[in-house]
Amino acid sequence: MDSADKNAPQGRRVGASLAFPASVMVLIVMLVPILMLFRYSFNVFDNGLMIEGFSLDSYLNFFSDPYYREVFLNTVYVAAVCTLLSLILGFPVAYFLAKSQSRYKSLFIILLVFPLMVGNVVRAAGWMIILGNAGFVNYFLQLFGFTDQPLQLMYTPFAVIVGTTGVVLPYFILTLQSVLEGIDFSVEEAAQSLGANFFVSFYRVVLPIAAPGVAAGTVLVFILCMNAYATPVLLGGTGITMMAPALYDQITKAANWPFGAALAVVLVVATLIMATLSNWFIHRRYVKTMVS
Amino acid sequence: MAKVSIDRLKKTFGSAVAVSDFSLDIADGELVAFLGPSGCGKTTTLRMIAGFIEPTTGTIRIGDDDVTRMPVHKRNTGMVFQRYALFPHMTVSQNVLFGLEMHKVEPTERDKRMRTALDMVRMSSFHDRYPRQLSGGQQQRVAIARALAIQPRVFLLDEPLSNLDAKLRLEVREEIRDLQRNLGLTTIFVTHDQEEALAIADRMAIMYDGKIQQIGSPEELYERPDNLFVADFLGKMNFFEGKVSEAGKFITTSHQREIFIDGTERNVQKIGVRPERITLSAQPQGSNALTGVVDTAIYLGSILDVRVRLDSGEFVSAQLPNRGSEHAQHISEGARVHACFEPKDCVLFSE
Repeated sequence: MDSADKNAPQGRRVGASLAFPASVMVLIVMLVPILMLFRYSFNVFDNGLMIEGFSLDSYLNFFSDPYYREVFLNTVYVAAVCTLLSLILGFPVAYFLAKSQSRYKSLFIILLVFPLMVGNVVRAAGWMIILGNAGFVNYFLQLFGFTDQPLQLMYTPFAVIVGTTGVVLPYFILTLQSVLEGIDFSVEEAAQSLGANFFVSFYRVVLPIAAPGVAAGTVLVFILCMNAYATPVLLGGTGITMMAPALYDQITKAANWPFGAALAVVLVVATLIMATLSNWFIHRRYVKTMVS
Repeated sequence: MAKVSIDRLKKTFGSAVAVSDFSLDIADGELVAFLGPSGCGKTTTLRMIAGFIEPTTGTIRIGDDDVTRMPVHKRNTGMVFQRYALFPHMTVSQNVLFGLEMHKVEPTERDKRMRTALDMVRMSSFHDRYPRQLSGGQQQRVAIARALAIQPRVFLLDEPLSNLDAKLRLEVREEIRDLQRNLGLTTIFVTHDQEEALAIADRMAIMYDGKIQQIGSPEELYERPDNLFVADFLGKMNFFEGKVSEAGKFITTSHQREIFIDGTERNVQKIGVRPERITLSAQPQGSNALTGVVDTAIYLGSILDVRVRLDSGEFVSAQLPNRGSEHAQHISEGARVHACFEPKDCVLFSE
């Protein structure tokens, strides 16, 4: 014990010094581009050229243009709906996975990880086949006579929501499952033996204890949805525009770096605020009492 | 409180039989301990009574109600878990109030019963603490109060002392026993610790391999074990193999030694003697005296644990009360001794 105690601070120093180069790299690679974009957002755009300066024009343009307001609200709306859907669809799966003692459990987890190995673009292509006018869903709708004309499913908010939820759901389930795994489910049994039925014991006991995991999963999924790019482009097309594709267009097509940068800053700040607020709310509601 | 009747209970998981042919009547106010090694089916049986596991066949009655297929939350059993299972996000009093609320007790009455329950386990002064602020023993006391506040028909305890350290274990054990006596609680206590079961139980059911091996008072089980498993599981026992030659005389297989036994039974294949019934002396005493050499003598404070190698090569273990060094002079390693015991101390086994 003695020698271990003496070594501990030294061990920490060695660990810190080993982590140092990587930390510097992360700082450079992550922080510098963001700071540069932040700086660009105050530059002036004049006749297709970016001029160094300090102006709030880009931000004023964003807030005064109803189109971009709509883009922003679309993004929040899609992200909120996808997060809610993940919560509703993902919670039961994570819950039963965490409680399961089946030998097929690891197989289920591999199945959950599997979609993550297929790129978003490939999965969006899959949805195009399913949701297209000559696609799988319309084929059956027409076959059984629910509709004469193909239903317009592609390039709608519906398609974007379905596709994005499909992308983020595994992240939510895996995050939540790992937290639920740590819960001693005898509390649920205790609640039931005290007279609570399944739903009451779930709502009053399991859910509050699971709150940190729910918070982590929800915030993660919300951030992913807010910043989604490939899925909204491929499934939303011109039917619905979200922030990430809009700012990409500004930078690559219009070459308007200041405005693109301003959109990026708005997106980052809005995401941070909403993630922090929801996290704070859940912690205040459930977690505070359990963390010493 | 109510009596509990279990009739031919059976539980299989796939092809594995966890519990079979389990029948037991527990009287109103009785404390029965289920004792056995891990995997013997004792916890599965308790969980079937609580309702967490559905039996494959058989019936469970609490009072006059058949509860075999009744959901957990309607059974009104008070359950205490090995790892306390207190709700971490609720204070001590909220934990206790939860069950009262579920049972739709009037709010004013709720508070009164919560206080009474916490008083019973001397935890009233901790009512506004959270479980993480309590020690293990305190948490288990709260869990007991929570289970008893709802005035359950049966009190179920699943290894409630296993997570506590030795001193607390004794303390909480006494507390459970006192509460059980004073309130007349019909109680089932699952444990793998034989001392715990012996100390607390009116009757104990020793289980092995999914079956009850023997049911009876602690004394009955210790003095008159039905089979080798019970004899060996409960305390220690020295065994000799052989057969009965004439009434009251047993001949060992190994060295044709004569051992005098009580009883006229002919079909005896093994006899057993408890270590504490064997005395060691320099001169032969009593009916049976087997000669040998002291192999090891371990000083355990209140007793001496001595292993004797008999001249036949078998080992016999003897436990002698520590009566001071002058009594134990002849018991040094290598000394020749006689291991002496009476016919009445021999337990006969026919299997």
